[in-house]
Amino acid sequence: MRLDSITDAIGDTPLVRVDPAVHGLRHIDLYAKLEMLNPFGSVKDRAAWHMVRPGLTAAADGHRTVVELSSGNTAKALSLLAGLYGVPFKTVTNRIRVPEMRDLLLLLGAEVEELPGQTECLDPTSTDDPLTLFHQELTGSADGYVYTDQYYNARNTEAHAAGTGPEIVADLDGRAPDHFVACVGTAGSSSGVARVLREHDPGVHVLGLVAHKADFIPGIRTIDEVQGVGLFDPATYDTIETVTADEAIEGMVTLARRCGMPAGPTGGAAYTGAVRHLRTLDAELTERRTAVFIVCDRIESYLSYVRQRRPDLLGRPAHRNSLATLTEAEAAAATGIGTEDAERWIAQDEPLVVDLRSPFSYAALHIDGSVNIVDELFAELLQGGLPFSKSRPVLLACPVGEQSARYAALLTRMGHPDVRSLAGGIIAWRDAGAPLVRE
Amino acid sequence: MGVPLYLEPRLTPRLTSLLRSGRFLHALVGGLGSPLNVVLPDQIADNLTHFRDVYRTHRLSGQVFFAHKANRSSALVRRLAATDAGLDAASLGELQHALGAGFTPDRIMATGPKDPEFLWLAARTGVLVHVDGQAELDELAALVRQYGLPPAGVLLRLSGFASEGTRLLTRPSRFGTPAGELGGLLTTLERYPDELRLAGVGYHLDTTSLAEKAVALEGCVRAMDECRGRGLNPRIIDIGGGFGVSYLADGEQWERYTTELTRAVMGRRPALTWRRHGYGLWHEAGTLRGSLALYPAHRPVAAEKYLDALLTQPAPALGTRLATLLLEGLCDLYVEPGRALADQCGLTLARVLEVRRTGAGERVVRLAANATDVALEEHGVLMDPVVVPADGRRAPAAGGPVGVHLAGNLCLEADMITRRTVFLPYPPCPGDLLAFANTAGYCMDFRAGEAQRQPVARKAAVWQDGRDGARERRDGRERQDGQDDGHGEVPWRWCLDEEYWPVAQQAHHPRHHGTPAGGGA
Repeated sequence: MRLDSITDAIGDTPLVRVDPAVHGLRHIDLYAKLEMLNPFGSVKDRAAWHMVRPGLTAAADGHRTVVELSSGNTAKALSLLAGLYGVPFKTVTNRIRVPEMRDLLLLLGAEVEELPGQTECLDPTSTDDPLTLFHQELTGSADGYVYTDQYYNARNTEAHAAGTGPEIVADLDGRAPDHFVACVGTAGSSSGVARVLREHDPGVHVLGLVAHKADFIPGIRTIDEVQGVGLFDPATYDTIETVTADEAIEGMVTLARRCGMPAGPTGGAAYTGAVRHLRTLDAELTERRTAVFIVCDRIESYLSYVRQRRPDLLGRPAHRNSLATLTEAEAAAATGIGTEDAERWIAQDEPLVVDLRSPFSYAALHIDGSVNIVDELFAELLQGGLPFSKSRPVLLACPVGEQSARYAALLTRMGHPDVRSLAGGIIAWRDAGAPLVRE
Repeated sequence: MGVPLYLEPRLTPRLTSLLRSGRFLHALVGGLGSPLNVVLPDQIADNLTHFRDVYRTHRLSGQVFFAHKANRSSALVRRLAATDAGLDAASLGELQHALGAGFTPDRIMATGPKDPEFLWLAARTGVLVHVDGQAELDELAALVRQYGLPPAGVLLRLSGFASEGTRLLTRPSRFGTPAGELGGLLTTLERYPDELRLAGVGYHLDTTSLAEKAVALEGCVRAMDECRGRGLNPRIIDIGGGFGVSYLADGEQWERYTTELTRAVMGRRPALTWRRHGYGLWHEAGTLRGSLALYPAHRPVAAEKYLDALLTQPAPALGTRLATLLLEGLCDLYVEPGRALADQCGLTLARVLEVRRTGAGERVVRLAANATDVALEEHGVLMDPVVVPADGRRAPAAGGPVGVHLAGNLCLEADMITRRTVFLPYPPCPGDLLAFANTAGYCMDFRAGEAQRQPVARKAAVWQDGRDGARERRDGRERQDGQDDGHGEVPWRWCLDEEYWPVAQQAHHPRHHGTPAGGGA
């Protein structure tokens, strides 16, 4: 396959059958439309390209900036597309809730503006709604921007009516599936695909999935949020059901560990939602049916999302020389030394003074002659063994003497003969009037 | 009407017990009139200990200042004076009140816009001054010099902190000095070595967003470093208030309600509000527009839990946990909760005057109170009142839930206590009381006025003997016994707010009243 432009690689994604041994449906063939195989990694590549294409050349000539309200895949696709044409891209969002995405967008060269949170002292008559201000700015300088407006732009839906939908029909030998399942974000992919499928077979059942209200699933809106989407029309869906973040992650794990499909949480939600909905129908079926769900994007960007909600999925055993292995008794037995005694000890025996605070705090004020090894780094050093000679005594210092006591206990267990912890820490040292320097 | 869309208030056992004491409440309103504000001073002392617990968890030192502006009550301020709390005074009157209530100057901070009299009394008594900017520093230094006062301790209020990487937008504030102009403030301070002493820096952001506050807090840590770099020795970082309150008992109710409100605005269900008010939402060509202008009334993380969540956040640029950054930087943390410290510390009672149907069939309940007396709506807080039936009347078994509109006592179309259709478990009757819970933070007396010569609510302090915060902490749990009308319950006692002093709870002061109407028996 030889292409002139990366944009030619957008679309024509495979439709892959999910092993019935995994989903357990006896009469329904379940297919995954692998939109994660688009070149920029998501279903949004299609809509982004279709929406921005007409304005890009003019933007390049007229020094315009492409702008969009997106905290995820649309922003990612648009930054790459804008970059192809040497055009700047800016996204304005209500907070990026997936940290990896923030860094990724910056790496791709996007400018990211995050809107302020809700006010605490609410003024119900206030007119400075951040989104209103955003639109005012766009209107005020219409020449400077190409605004793709994904929640209202009909070209978002068209991208799928012209691409995704017909591809599914072609791959099913010219037939529409009996069931189509999609998560609702901008409603672009679900509406576009549903329109095409219904043209082939008005009997196709469309299941729209929205997030549970108290939950957050990247790329999916809640039942209230979809009402604010211009492209959303409730008539598109025969059924609207909710999925939770837990179900999304569960589905994601199944697709990754059992199906060879490293899908993100949106794909996971679509899988779980599809199987949950189809299972009741399956029990009463006698003939074969087909169902298709969309796998929106890939798994890699959601590590911290998973870490926050299901740390057990990323579990690792503790290291031998880690604080976590310390017993309460060991920790309590650590040798502490008060400020006055410590000053005398430093003068007499010149112990190595290790300050465990962050470099920033160390630079601000510290004990003269001390070395700074920040907590996390120190923990890492100890995994390899004792990082200093047993012949020299060591004084450990942290803010209040708690972490230092635990490390003193650990070093003692590791065989160091004379480690002490500064009791009460640097704060007690300061409060006792002992000298701190700034170099 | 559909299912009753209740928004039931979250109530601590203490407030629950008070609401069960129907005869007591009716006797109070009978004697002092409707509307009536009731404050629970012991609750504010309990709330303080919850904030202190967060300090303890993070090993942080510092002070918790009650933002007095949240409530004018003397009882709440005097009760706090008997603890180790601080007080944030935002006017001359509040400063005088705090000093008179027993707060010593080392426990008071002067904040907000200041007139010369306020600034002079602050400097004269030696309270810490949270200064807004250059001009205030000059003015304060001039006062100190002119009147030969001791050096005044100052905190510099900063704003407009820059974020790294993505641009984190923040609502512009008319208060404070841009963080980038700190150098100029320090130059001014250096001109007045005998008049001013730098105690620290601070911010106050009007946002619920932890991310924005994390940027500001880290900005303050950097500002402290800049101060130290110039040979100054500040110790305090003041992060203001805005910790929030969770008003509702049930998150599901809140979610169901907002979903139905959205549907009502879209025309997909009957209206839920007076005259189809949308609370900031409207309907345009099949799509929902606008944004919900409501306080997030159910908040899983509020008050001291919010402070804890903020301190647990990593600093946006340095990566270290904010609590650790404060601790390692040898900083004292100052906070000024208003609403959060007054959480569950009061309620507003209003008598039902009339229940009638409009031509359109809506059920309107008219109260002897108006929208300024119960300012929940003004703050975007949607929460049901609790019906306290008139003496002798029991909650009817029949009649079922009803949707009503609550109208005020002003001769004004707009004087609705709330524009929301309020669902009550049974229809109220004239003579019943509606109790609006949790009004002590900003929703009680902040705006109440004497329009139309309608009476402004009086305020009563109530408590239960032997049930102060210390006792409960020893017990390790709150007592939840007690049934209807105070039977088997420690009786409630009361006095006028201005006559409350912490000693009242031990001594039987002649001016303090027992339980009216026969001691609730």
